[in-house]
Amino acid sequence: MKKLIVLAALVLALAWAQDKPIVGFIYVGPVGDAGWTYAHDLGRQKLEKELGVKTIYIESVPEADAEAFIDQLVDEGASIIFTTSFGYGDGTLAAAERHPDVLFGHATGYMRAPNVMTYIAEMYQSYYINGLIAGALTESNKLGYVAAFPIPEVKRHIDAFAMGAKEVNPDATVEVRWLFNWFDPAGAKEATEALIAEGADVFAFTEDTPTVIQTAGEKGYPSFSHYASMYDFSPDTVASGQLTDWGTIYIDFVKGAMEGKYTNTNLQDLDYIWRYAEGASIAGAKPGMPINPVYEDALKAKMVNDSVLGEISVYDLVMKRIEQMTAGEFEPFTGPIVDRKGNEVYADGVVAPLGDLMGLEWAADNVVGDWDNEP
Amino acid sequence: MELELILNTIARALAFSTPLLWAALGEIYTERSGVVNLGVEGMMIMGAVVGFMVGQATGLPYLALLVAALVGTLMGLAHAFISITLNANQFVSGLSLTIFGLGLSGLLGRSYVGQPLNVAMKSVTVPFLSEIPLLGPALFTDQKLLTYAGLIMAIILWFFLNYTRWGMTLRSVGESPKAADTAGIPVNQVRYLAVAFGGLMAGVAGAYLSLAYRPSWGEGMTNGMGWIALALTIFALWDPLRAIGASFLFGAFFYLSFTKLQTVIAPELLTMMPYIMTIVALTVIALGQGKRAFGAPEALGIPYQRGER
Repeated sequence: MKKLIVLAALVLALAWAQDKPIVGFIYVGPVGDAGWTYAHDLGRQKLEKELGVKTIYIESVPEADAEAFIDQLVDEGASIIFTTSFGYGDGTLAAAERHPDVLFGHATGYMRAPNVMTYIAEMYQSYYINGLIAGALTESNKLGYVAAFPIPEVKRHIDAFAMGAKEVNPDATVEVRWLFNWFDPAGAKEATEALIAEGADVFAFTEDTPTVIQTAGEKGYPSFSHYASMYDFSPDTVASGQLTDWGTIYIDFVKGAMEGKYTNTNLQDLDYIWRYAEGASIAGAKPGMPINPVYEDALKAKMVNDSVLGEISVYDLVMKRIEQMTAGEFEPFTGPIVDRKGNEVYADGVVAPLGDLMGLEWAADNVVGDWDNEP
Repeated sequence: MELELILNTIARALAFSTPLLWAALGEIYTERSGVVNLGVEGMMIMGAVVGFMVGQATGLPYLALLVAALVGTLMGLAHAFISITLNANQFVSGLSLTIFGLGLSGLLGRSYVGQPLNVAMKSVTVPFLSEIPLLGPALFTDQKLLTYAGLIMAIILWFFLNYTRWGMTLRSVGESPKAADTAGIPVNQVRYLAVAFGGLMAGVAGAYLSLAYRPSWGEGMTNGMGWIALALTIFALWDPLRAIGASFLFGAFFYLSFTKLQTVIAPELLTMMPYIMTIVALTVIALGQGKRAFGAPEALGIPYQRGER
């Protein structure tokens, strides 16, 4: 009898433990990078708060060493592990093979396995919203864009931004400067200075520091924060930005795993590409502020003609698009789209398939600047 | 348009190269005394984080600068103690200093990430001089005081090194510590001072980044500038005056790689230029008539122990 009670207790404890998995995270940077890793860590905290699971994480893991650190997390009891950088792909797959009972999520990756899913909080729709605002705010019709690497992810952001700008201002061009680096504060600073010197007066970027915001802000030029809220760095000039919420994906997946919906055998085809509609990436200067009130009047004063909505202020247009994308009723990458070389990318009315966008290489026709691998 | 590009390049090269110049000047003095300190990056980033912390707490950026300089000095002293007093390997000690500085600064600065500096160092525009046509605005508008201070510092350090008795003392310790010792010069004390001074300068360089150039703290924000300063020390052939030109050139190429030239010349090529030049300088030294002809201190990297040959 006594043995039975002990056994029952054990089973219960085990069930309890399974109920509340330990979730591990592998970070590529320090949680204090105020960008990429910071955003993942906010997601981790949200997950912990919302589902009450225990989380553990390891920071600044070199991409080649992922496997060893994954082992460490498994040793510490993690049964779900998120690896938060593209470069962890091989390490994640190898580790997943050796730990078939552990569920893995590989951020921004494309290689899956029965116990490895991939996920991304995709923000091009937010960039499109930012582009609408930028196109309305520019006086020189030159928008400056500081970009990390000429890879599909970044090109997609630039194109979405450029298309938004063009929608409200056909004369607006996007001047791109490449850093060839995700983290290069001095490079971002000088790239912004160079763009200012060449006449740009509104700024967006895809790299991992708030430098563009600060540099443009010193001269009073509007800018868009990337990834997390960078509003505090220049409250008077951060017009909007992209706010990423990885927590939405983390919570959904861990919840699914706890409920038995996701197991170590059915992740092969699970690819989270979450956008506006799922709340994974929304536009805003900071949470609750889609448009900085400083620029509200200017945007309300600027009128444009939309083929569907008619005469409408840019402010209302932005709000309308946000509403539509939240409901999943609007997609910026909808034809007719012609790239800057004159090739038709999508015919009238054709909505770009997500798979296409994930491998996007073409440049929008109002983008100016060097562009590697242009088709 | 081309003229404008040149003028902008001059202005931005000055701003960007300021921390490089400060750090390189410090390392030049350190190495002139015969000690190599590979810890520049670590001392810089500690200056950056401590500068930011003090600046944020007090709202006094120049007080913050002083504290950052002090922290740099202390780290320099640590290197001096390990490499001079304990006679440990200088390269290992310097590298440890860099790793230590990068780690500790990340820890100290953790709660400061995501905050802009409340009171940053102001930009200055020099009256009268800024009104000189063309070069006036480029050289004398919207720069930080530390940029000019760095240039003046370079000239003072050059004069001091070449035309004063103290300067000669420093050089002799780096060239021939044994002869200096025989002449009654306290070799290790001089080296201590030089290494500490190198730390002070690196601390200032780091503080410029977090208090003036980009007034915020970000982990790893020096991003290799300390290593560039080390390269510049060699590229400048251990001469403070040449350090101005070397760091300016580096800054100019750096800025140009982000201008519209990107479409014409591969930006990687432009940013690579200073490194290529450094490698060329090093090669020339190696192929040339030995260290002396180029100004490299003869006893560089060699600990001095009385009685040893």
